[in-house]
Amino acid sequence: MNATPPPKQPLWLQLILRFERAIGVPVESAVRSDKYFDLVAHANRTRARLAELTEGLTQEWLHVFNLPAGSDVRRLREQLARVERQLGELAKDLERGRDE
Amino acid sequence: MPALNTDLAARLSRELERSVLRAKNGIRVVSGSGKPRLGATPKDVVWQRDRAELWRYRASAVRYQPPVLFVHSLVSRSYIMDLRPGSSTVEFLLDRGFDVSMLDWGVPDERDADNTIETYVDEYLPAALAALQSETGCDEVTLVGYCLGGTFATLYAAGEESHVRNLVLLASPLDYSEMGAMVAAVLDGRLDPDEIVDETGNVPADLLYAAFFMQAPTTEIARYAMLLENLWNDEFVDAWQAMAQWSREQVPFPGAAMRQVVEELVRRNTLMTGTMRLKGRTVDFTNVRANVLNAMAERDNVVPLAAAEPASRLVGDPDRRDELRLSGGHVTFFAGRYARAHTLPTLASWLVARSDELDPAKER
Repeated sequence: MNATPPPKQPLWLQLILRFERAIGVPVESAVRSDKYFDLVAHANRTRARLAELTEGLTQEWLHVFNLPAGSDVRRLREQLARVERQLGELAKDLERGRDE
Repeated sequence: MPALNTDLAARLSRELERSVLRAKNGIRVVSGSGKPRLGATPKDVVWQRDRAELWRYRASAVRYQPPVLFVHSLVSRSYIMDLRPGSSTVEFLLDRGFDVSMLDWGVPDERDADNTIETYVDEYLPAALAALQSETGCDEVTLVGYCLGGTFATLYAAGEESHVRNLVLLASPLDYSEMGAMVAAVLDGRLDPDEIVDETGNVPADLLYAAFFMQAPTTEIARYAMLLENLWNDEFVDAWQAMAQWSREQVPFPGAAMRQVVEELVRRNTLMTGTMRLKGRTVDFTNVRANVLNAMAERDNVVPLAAAEPASRLVGDPDRRDELRLSGGHVTFFAGRYARAHTLPTLASWLVARSDELDPAKER
């Protein structure tokens, strides 16, 4: 069986693919380095602290006007999810009890 | 001379035609319209619990049993197995006479934050299999696990009561210490799982997308350049859009399962040390009685060969193990044109040799 040779790529595409590899290899090596992972961990903690700070400030203001803040809604959702999980567990226990 | 003119006219006409197609498809890509239909093979939901669903794909006749059940990973959408008509792993196996189903874990939310590996391996999987057995009337099953789904399928198959005739692992990690960049941030304790879960108690989908994207961030340049070159080709654009959509659509990872993956699979590497415990049992891979096919991709930068390869040495009976090393990356080795030409025919032949042929074929 004769395999059809792949069509030749135009010069501009070859250049872009070569450029991509030329920058890709060092970038990939950088994002696999210990320094990068330290940076990711640090950035993640900073982001979390900033979010906490902003949340605290906006929550205070919203509560002055007796309005619920995003964190209040989140707490409600967490409570609802917990209730739903408990209901699910109860339903599973009932099912198991019926099977036995 | 007239021949030269005819040739030139033909080339001009072709270029004109391609320019029109480039313009049409360019608008399509930029506006995000005319996206291909994904996961379009007709199916029925035959079992459902919480967010998890078992889909049985429709087929006019079944030539082989046991039925094939895909066990998908927790971090991505299962339609990668049924990407587009003509480029679908599910469709390929249906056409060859297999009875194909998919265990889709759904999209986890707050209610799933406490789901552990046991939830998937010891609760959902056995319940879905019981439903499949009652649907198909066949006691045995062929499990095809992809990525973390392969790990789950192996953990299930190592259980005492499993009825797994064949176990196919597609890019499934066993040695999590070899997962490289995917786990480096949590392996050495730089990040704790609790730092990456959000207010829903799950690891957000965006974070997972970023982790995958950062594996090779510049490849987007090459992908877009290839798109530009092939913009006249409807088939290429369809495939490009389908894959682009899938790779952006990660799903959140349940927080409790993530803590377990990090603590047990990554940091303590319990699958390799033989100390993994599930619901009071110690997982012993030699308990797997199924025929095992371990399929891996040579250029997989998500699950490197070193992470997937141990299954070929550790899972099941040495006389019933096979290994398949294929060209391609984490996804392309089983989805797309290469897969249709190489991986899927090999997979189907392996399954045919280890399945019972029904004569005559069973009408459905």
